[in-house]
Amino acid sequence: MQPCSREMQAMNSLLSPTQPIPLQDLQPNGNSGTHQAQIHNPQFDPTSSHDDFLDQMLSTLPSCSWSDLKSPWDPPKSDETPPSNPDNNAGFHYDEILASKLRQHQINGGGGGTTAAMKMMMQQQMLLPGRPIAAAGGGGLTMPLHNVIVDGSSFKSPNQQGGEGSVQALYNGFGAGPLHGTNNQSPNQPQHFHHPQGGNMQTQSFGATAGTVMNQSQASGSTTGGTPAQPKQRVRARRGQATDPHSIAERLRRERIAERMKALQELVPNANKTDKASMLDEIIDYVKFLQLQVKVLSMSRLGGAAAVAPLVADMPPEGGDCVQTTAGGGGSLQRNSNGNQPSANNDSLTVTEHQVAKLMEEDMGSAMQYLQGKGLCLMPISLATAISTATCHSRNPMMNKGSSSNHPLLQSNGDGPSSPSMSVLTVQSATMGNGGLDGSAKDAASVSKP
Amino acid sequence: MMNTPQQVKNPSSSLKSRFITRFLGALTKINAEDPISSPSPTRIFQRYRRIKVASNKSMAYSVRSRRIWSRAMLSRFRSRRSAFSGRRSSVKTTNCTTINVTINENKTAKGGLDMQTDELRELVPGGEAMDVCNLLDETAHYIKCLTTQVQVMRKIVDFCHLSK
Repeated sequence: MQPCSREMQAMNSLLSPTQPIPLQDLQPNGNSGTHQAQIHNPQFDPTSSHDDFLDQMLSTLPSCSWSDLKSPWDPPKSDETPPSNPDNNAGFHYDEILASKLRQHQINGGGGGTTAAMKMMMQQQMLLPGRPIAAAGGGGLTMPLHNVIVDGSSFKSPNQQGGEGSVQALYNGFGAGPLHGTNNQSPNQPQHFHHPQGGNMQTQSFGATAGTVMNQSQASGSTTGGTPAQPKQRVRARRGQATDPHSIAERLRRERIAERMKALQELVPNANKTDKASMLDEIIDYVKFLQLQVKVLSMSRLGGAAAVAPLVADMPPEGGDCVQTTAGGGGSLQRNSNGNQPSANNDSLTVTEHQVAKLMEEDMGSAMQYLQGKGLCLMPISLATAISTATCHSRNPMMNKGSSSNHPLLQSNGDGPSSPSMSVLTVQSATMGNGGLDGSAKDAASVSKP
Repeated sequence: MMNTPQQVKNPSSSLKSRFITRFLGALTKINAEDPISSPSPTRIFQRYRRIKVASNKSMAYSVRSRRIWSRAMLSRFRSRRSAFSGRRSSVKTTNCTTINVTINENKTAKGGLDMQTDELRELVPGGEAMDVCNLLDETAHYIKCLTTQVQVMRKIVDFCHLSK
């Protein structure tokens, strides 16, 4: 994913490499001919379209200085040779003519059309430096720009005069955009560039991104780095201004994840955690809790109570968990699971029981926790007593909801921890049979059935 | 039992209404095949399993294949149906052991988010093959569907409760 903004691309394209090597490598036809005319036409197939493009642009600009630009275009003049190498590709020549023209235009006070024209031109030129950049890989952006800056500095007066300082600054400013990570110079330098560029609209538009990279352009200009020296001179881009495709992809990914986390925060109750890890913990607990609720509710739909016992006995590690995480939900969970049980045995299935259960939610929670600590579950008193007398036949063990009976139950648990636990286990073993609940099956296996 | 326990707010084709329709249909079928008053714990246990599966299945079908987790769940059901008895217990044990074992692991949060991500993957059906971004997305939808499921089931329970 190429993160360059259009402006950056445009700047990049403007400052295409002037050294022969990168571009030559990339030319599909190879840089066989050194003659600029030969090179110019066949290599840059897109240039034909660019010509049209450029003509469009040129028509919008004041034509004062364009004539001499146009003329060298088709038959490249030798006097327009780029400064560094005489056998440069016409591509560079092309770029520099355009660049110089544009500079001149701007220096002459281009006016409103400049920005658009500039952008068009630079996008047009995108292809040209695009290839060397692509060829040079990740550091490709820097390499051609190195060269460009170098050439820019030396490229004082092609044909047009008008403020070398500003020209160079302008040039560097444009080149600074896509250039990234080459040195550790302070960010003061952008201002240094800004001044000479003064009323340059381009600079203002590229100011943000150029600011980060102007440092590097300056440094690279001074270092004449033809080699990929950028790893050593890497400068941290400003936060959020990174132009490295990897970091931008990374940033996008992080943003998406943050979005999702926010959406999840709204779904999950008690989601006031800012920490990602704790938020994930909450989410996980909540999902577990919901799944457990479904389980219990599907149990409670049955008239039979026996099925609940293995679930309840199973539940202490889970039930405790869900009680801890969501007190209200856990409490009501208990209520619901208890809700249907008495229907089988007790005839007093009324709303009052619901209310009692609601009132007992806290107690239930704490009761469950207590039982969980002992590996127990609630059972009807009759059953508990029956089992404690070592008859251990589990008829219909069910959850007990009566408040009065509950306390004795707890007390009985306190009195004889072994028997209720044994009863629970026997219940499990009895009910499970083929059920195959591993967690409780282990316990059942460990205790011999009395 | 077959009275519709609640009025749906968006009657036309919301997830909730679809789920309710399917689930009630499944419940009717289960009740028809297997009367409630069978005392044997095994039978009851089986019935519990069936209801739970019916509930999850109804939800998955209501979501169709629009979500990764629903697709995974549906394929799980189909494969489960093909390997009927052997699979059921294994799936059940997997769920139990997951919940039991991973409670403590959850607490060490600072070791990176991989642990929680993995755990989330286990919880959400089909989560193994998703990247984190999609996983979170699916989790959100899954939570939404689970809450709908729980809501509806609870209302059914309360209704049947009160009507007795």
